[in-house]
Amino acid sequence: MNPTLDPNPLAPYLPLAIALLLAGVLSLIIVKLAAALGPKRPSSIKSAPFEAGSESSGPARQRFAVKFYVVALLFIVFDVEAVFLYPWAVNFQALGWFGYVEMLVFAATLVVGLIYIWKKGALEWEH
Amino acid sequence: MNLPNLTSADFLPLLPAIILVVGACILLLSEVFLSAHSSRGYQAVLSTATSVIAGAVSLTLLTEPARAVFLGFGAMDPFSSFLTFTVCVSLALASLTAAGFLRKRGAERGEFYALMLFAGAGMSLLGLSNELITLFVNVEVLSIATYALTSYLRRGTRPSEAGFKYFILGAFSSAVLLYGSALLYGATGTTLLSDMSGPLRAAMANNNGALVYAGAVLVAAGFSFKVAAVPFHMWTPDVYEGAPTPVTALMSAGVKAAAFVALVRVFISVGSGIDAQLPFAIFSTLALLTMVAGNLLAIPQRNVKRMLAYSSIAHAGYLLLGVAALFVSAPGQEFKLLGPTALIGASPEDVARVDALRGILYYLLAYTFTAVGAFGVVSLLERREDEEKGTAWDLERFSGLAQRRPGWAFAMAAFMLSLAGIPPTIGFIGKLILFRAAVDAGLVGLTIIAVLSSAAGAYYYLRVVVYMYMRPVPEGAHTLERSWMTELALVVSTVAVVLLGILPGPLTEWIAQAGTLFTR
Amino acid sequence: MVPISYYLILAAALFCLGMFGVLIRRNALVVFMCVELMLNAANLTFLAFAKQNGHLTGHVSAFFVIAVAAAEASIGLAIVIAVFRSRGTVSIEEIRTMKH
Repeated sequence: MNPTLDPNPLAPYLPLAIALLLAGVLSLIIVKLAAALGPKRPSSIKSAPFEAGSESSGPARQRFAVKFYVVALLFIVFDVEAVFLYPWAVNFQALGWFGYVEMLVFAATLVVGLIYIWKKGALEWEH
Repeated sequence: MNLPNLTSADFLPLLPAIILVVGACILLLSEVFLSAHSSRGYQAVLSTATSVIAGAVSLTLLTEPARAVFLGFGAMDPFSSFLTFTVCVSLALASLTAAGFLRKRGAERGEFYALMLFAGAGMSLLGLSNELITLFVNVEVLSIATYALTSYLRRGTRPSEAGFKYFILGAFSSAVLLYGSALLYGATGTTLLSDMSGPLRAAMANNNGALVYAGAVLVAAGFSFKVAAVPFHMWTPDVYEGAPTPVTALMSAGVKAAAFVALVRVFISVGSGIDAQLPFAIFSTLALLTMVAGNLLAIPQRNVKRMLAYSSIAHAGYLLLGVAALFVSAPGQEFKLLGPTALIGASPEDVARVDALRGILYYLLAYTFTAVGAFGVVSLLERREDEEKGTAWDLERFSGLAQRRPGWAFAMAAFMLSLAGIPPTIGFIGKLILFRAAVDAGLVGLTIIAVLSSAAGAYYYLRVVVYMYMRPVPEGAHTLERSWMTELALVVSTVAVVLLGILPGPLTEWIAQAGTLFTR
Repeated sequence: MVPISYYLILAAALFCLGMFGVLIRRNALVVFMCVELMLNAANLTFLAFAKQNGHLTGHVSAFFVIAVAAAEASIGLAIVIAVFRSRGTVSIEEIRTMKH
């Protein structure tokens, strides 16, 4: 593929633009629809600006409970392992039983980790 | 799409690592079903047994012919099997030491042993790795487990400080190693070490030499951090001092052995594509600095654990001398390493190279027995209460040990003699083989410096012996608790250190085989 | 198309930035982020070369590096938390107490 032969270099991005447009319109419709249809019972807490579960006014250098870090650590590890599932999923047919067994071993290793953190109580929020 | 056709022959070299991982998973899963007061005595036994089984399997693999496995991503050769054996020895001895250490502190948990076994599996796989990304992943498997082990004890400030320093140092060196690998990949278009020599020559011919040199230097720097070579040793003594003693033992023996084996494998492949002058220049300089600085910095230490940390740096220097001996070659001469079968009719340089490779392996095993044993004695003498004050490892602790615990004192004396390289110990034989190979390779000047610096080192090793045998027991010395498992580790190491020092024959036979390295 | 050398220069700059950050910054968390920057610089280099050479090796390498970096980040954060709990600070100056 020689890029200089392409009459319009932006042409491949057209589907992306359509997807973006659709996503924008759809989210706008949903927000407006929710505002139009939903019941409204405003209170002072509800109408305060809201960000990621923390209070929006007060000192910015507040401390978070260590629980958040634990959840974040576990999330990072288990989330990133999913990276290896995609190449396998795409080639599922071609890799056959061998690939299937390999992935079972991989998943079993993750399950060992899951059982460990579960029994250790790392997933309990209230202690 | 053509799929790789993997057979059981490909999985065979993984067997020791698989055994270690299964053992680790059993320990991890059984731990969470125990209550806080359950007996955990089985854990050290299980961990030791797993290491012994894996070690025995690696010995049977020693006779397997050298070949590429997993499409060249791994290299199955006696060299890697011997490393796995060394790693399993250090794991078994460190597990036994840990049993006494952890029980004394009421900190016995399955995770500790599981992490050790995971680290061991990483080390074993690192020895097999013949591809840059596999290499990086395995470096990380062993490093991440050791980061966690270093900060395992949560009471007090030292373990977390040591863990943090080790983590930053380790992550930094891994990143340097990875960036160097990326540059080598860019220069050659492959990450397979066995495919690298041709593209490297082409890259050198096409004025891409800067990329190759930058990559090689960064990879060497990354490994230098891992083996704690001067000037990349900055935080090593702090880490070794702050880490739990069995972990320090594992770090100084197993981690170092695995890093050396990987370093040799990488640079034999890289060195066959570029002029061997570059790796020779790097490793001979590092060897010189590390030997001299390690020994000189150890002399003023009155803290025995810290002294052993500097001693570990010094020993990395001797090993680097062996690595430098691998790369001695006349300018322009094609560099390659021969297996022992091809030695008939080979040039003297080639013979010296194979001897240097064997010397490195012998030295790694000798150092493993000696260092893990020495840290075992240190762990028996220390008490948690003195750690924050920093007196837990003071030389005074060893005063009169020969009267209080003659067995421990004898073992420690054997380890100190072995570290100093005084016969009849395994350390002496190791130095003899390594230094002779270096002289045969033509590194006479460096070898003289190595001998002189190890003579200087004898001072601080023998000082410990003098304290144990010639000083009176200090007033108000605390009672010395015994632990049969740690003492078992001491017995095994002492027997190995002395017996193999008197009868080196069987081991040299094995190592003669282990000098075979898969290169193509 | 952006020439390959631009990616490489960007990656080298990021790597140097991360390296100097590790050596001179005082906050443990910032040092930790600098290490991640170095890993990602290496990743970018792999991808740039993979694009140039047109094989998959470099792309696959990036996957593995991301996964490993995540594991490393987890253990690193845990260690930083342990340091903070035992000392109440994450300043590197105050973590250095062992004598040399």
